[in-house]
Amino acid sequence: MGLKGLLAGIAGRARVPVFAVGGAGARDDLANLRLRTEISMLDTPRPANILLVAGSFTDAGIAALRRVHDQMSPPRLTVHWGPTTLEGLPAEHVVSGNVDGLVDAIVDLHRALLHGTLPSEAPLLPDIDPAEWRNVGPYGQGGKGMTGGVPYGRPMAERGPDRDGIQLDRLPVTLGPWLPALPAGLTLRVTFQGDIIQEASVGPAAVTAAIASPFKEALRRPVPLADLELARARHHLIWLAEALRLVGLGALGLRALRLAARLTPQDNDAVDALARAIRKSGAFAWSLGSAGRLDPSLTEGLGPVARASGLPDDARLEDPTYRSLGFTPITFADGDPRARWRQRLAEITQSLDLAMQAPDRTAFGDGVVEGPHGRLEQGAPTPSSRLLELLPALLTGLEWGDAVTCLASIDMDPAEAAAAPPSAGEGEAA
Amino acid sequence: MNPATAILFTGGVLGAGVYIVSVLDRLLAGTAAGNREGTAALLLDPFRSVALLMSQRRTVTERPDREAWALAPALLAGLAAVAFTAIPLTPGLAIADVPVGIVLFGAALVQVMVAVFLHGWSSNSIFPLIGGYRFAALALSVGIPFSLVLITTAIPAESLSVGVIISSQAELWNVLRQPLGLPIYLLTALGFAFWGPFQHPDAADLAGGSQTETSGTALLAWRTARAALLVSAAAMGSAAFLGGPLGPWLPGWAWSILKTVALLAVMIWFGHRTARPRMENVVKFGWLVLLPLALVDVFVSGALTL
Repeated sequence: MGLKGLLAGIAGRARVPVFAVGGAGARDDLANLRLRTEISMLDTPRPANILLVAGSFTDAGIAALRRVHDQMSPPRLTVHWGPTTLEGLPAEHVVSGNVDGLVDAIVDLHRALLHGTLPSEAPLLPDIDPAEWRNVGPYGQGGKGMTGGVPYGRPMAERGPDRDGIQLDRLPVTLGPWLPALPAGLTLRVTFQGDIIQEASVGPAAVTAAIASPFKEALRRPVPLADLELARARHHLIWLAEALRLVGLGALGLRALRLAARLTPQDNDAVDALARAIRKSGAFAWSLGSAGRLDPSLTEGLGPVARASGLPDDARLEDPTYRSLGFTPITFADGDPRARWRQRLAEITQSLDLAMQAPDRTAFGDGVVEGPHGRLEQGAPTPSSRLLELLPALLTGLEWGDAVTCLASIDMDPAEAAAAPPSAGEGEAA
Repeated sequence: MNPATAILFTGGVLGAGVYIVSVLDRLLAGTAAGNREGTAALLLDPFRSVALLMSQRRTVTERPDREAWALAPALLAGLAAVAFTAIPLTPGLAIADVPVGIVLFGAALVQVMVAVFLHGWSSNSIFPLIGGYRFAALALSVGIPFSLVLITTAIPAESLSVGVIISSQAELWNVLRQPLGLPIYLLTALGFAFWGPFQHPDAADLAGGSQTETSGTALLAWRTARAALLVSAAAMGSAAFLGGPLGPWLPGWAWSILKTVALLAVMIWFGHRTARPRMENVVKFGWLVLLPLALVDVFVSGALTL
């Protein structure tokens, strides 16, 4: 064993650097992987050795995945988690089954990769400039004055008035769909001036349609209320973990994930302790602001987002089971990211209380249900699809850091945005 | 000290410091997450991560500024080392206990802005560039309070030499004589090392910021340099505010190391439990809170010395 073998031996015991891409239906499983000490989930594909792919994607999503694959520096390997592989990606390594099996498989594959018994994957895309070089300067510049032009297919920064009325460079870029700071599968086309978003629009959907269970079932048939409320609390805790990670509190986020993984209706003390730690961290005081305020008139039917802007808007008010338990929605007034965090933290506690009160009763089943993102109704657009429409106006004028915090605070799910709740006919067929 | 010994000494001490930083970081992250890890895993993990990054190939982006990209981590590490040389571990055990040591230290830390901006600029990519810009705003906001509280420790010593500043604390440490000094110093030092709540240039919302496009040995170099910077800042904190090698029973160098490790632990612990503020709040906090407090520190310390 030479020096290289020794290095590979030691490196094989390190946390495996994984860049995980989650399509529709993979959110919770991938979030739980963060709890495993054998692997580390990275924010960028560059230093990752394993590309982990789970869930289902649209063609646009897979095309973007191929670019992510080539951004990883060798040695690299693609692992599919789930029943099938995806067309257009290396398909040698498919793992189906639970998290334990997946982690073991990743660790083994990674060791083989480091020792050279498995070859590193070749690039999927040709290493050529994506568009022809145009214009005159050494970098293709020279459209107008010293700037302008479209070197290698990318528009150069051009000047335009900024919010202070000064002429500043504008840089158009496409972000996502696999940027871990954005909801998985969301593509944003953004024009930056400095790091201020001057214009924003939404790109093609990268994930296929999906509505989270058990809320999807509750559209068609009555579902135990305790199941719905535990699922809601779990959804918010996993959301919280992600939001905490984005404001630099990844360690507290892991606490939220661990709680979500073993959540019972009796866990309110643990939720309170977590909420105290978050308050002490200063997150409410200085990380979340009022940048990204939503007017209440825009938020009807948007669940926690609506209630955080003061509307007592909740489909649970229409359900007899909830009414018999004396359910009243919690609301906050400000309608900004800070209020939305407070809202979800309070709703976790409320959901656990509801689950404890009515362990055996069922609720919903008539084509309307209060999902984790808001009101799901047959024939109506899903709350996430409405949030998606609000994004361009919401993000315009925000500094990038605030835009990320704001996006996280509205909890938009691209898979739900692509979905239409099933009609009654579909329900009967199923 | 001859140059070879000086380089070995600085490299050795900073290297050990970087190791301690990575062990403490993982340990304290685990505590904040409510997760206990085995001692062996904690102690061995830094070596494993180093081996992993060494076995990875470096990234090449489209039209990077190659020279700047390679130089930025080296510059950051060099500045951490230069800053460190001004700090005596015990009287006589310093690489360069020059008469203006505290100015040398401050000057080295101010240049960190160049290294971070260069790192963000050079990969020719949007998030690293935003990371570089963010550091400029961050360093400008914490830089003056940082320099002020540091230079205030020179007032009772009537000298800019770190050695003299240490011996001036024989009767009373500066942490008690200038109670505002150490907290402001630690906060702003976290800013200069862009660590914890001030991780803006390399933050998660920028997918790693200035290091988004970096992998392999280049990433290893950058992370090592950043940890070394934190070590230098903690070592200076121990010398300027906690009397460095002063203390009973143990030899001076042992006190220096203990105090430095304690400050590192405080800073890293704070980092894992404190949210990253919005950039606007960082700037407001620096100019409207820290700067006036640092000025009070200067005036009060000056008045008491008269």
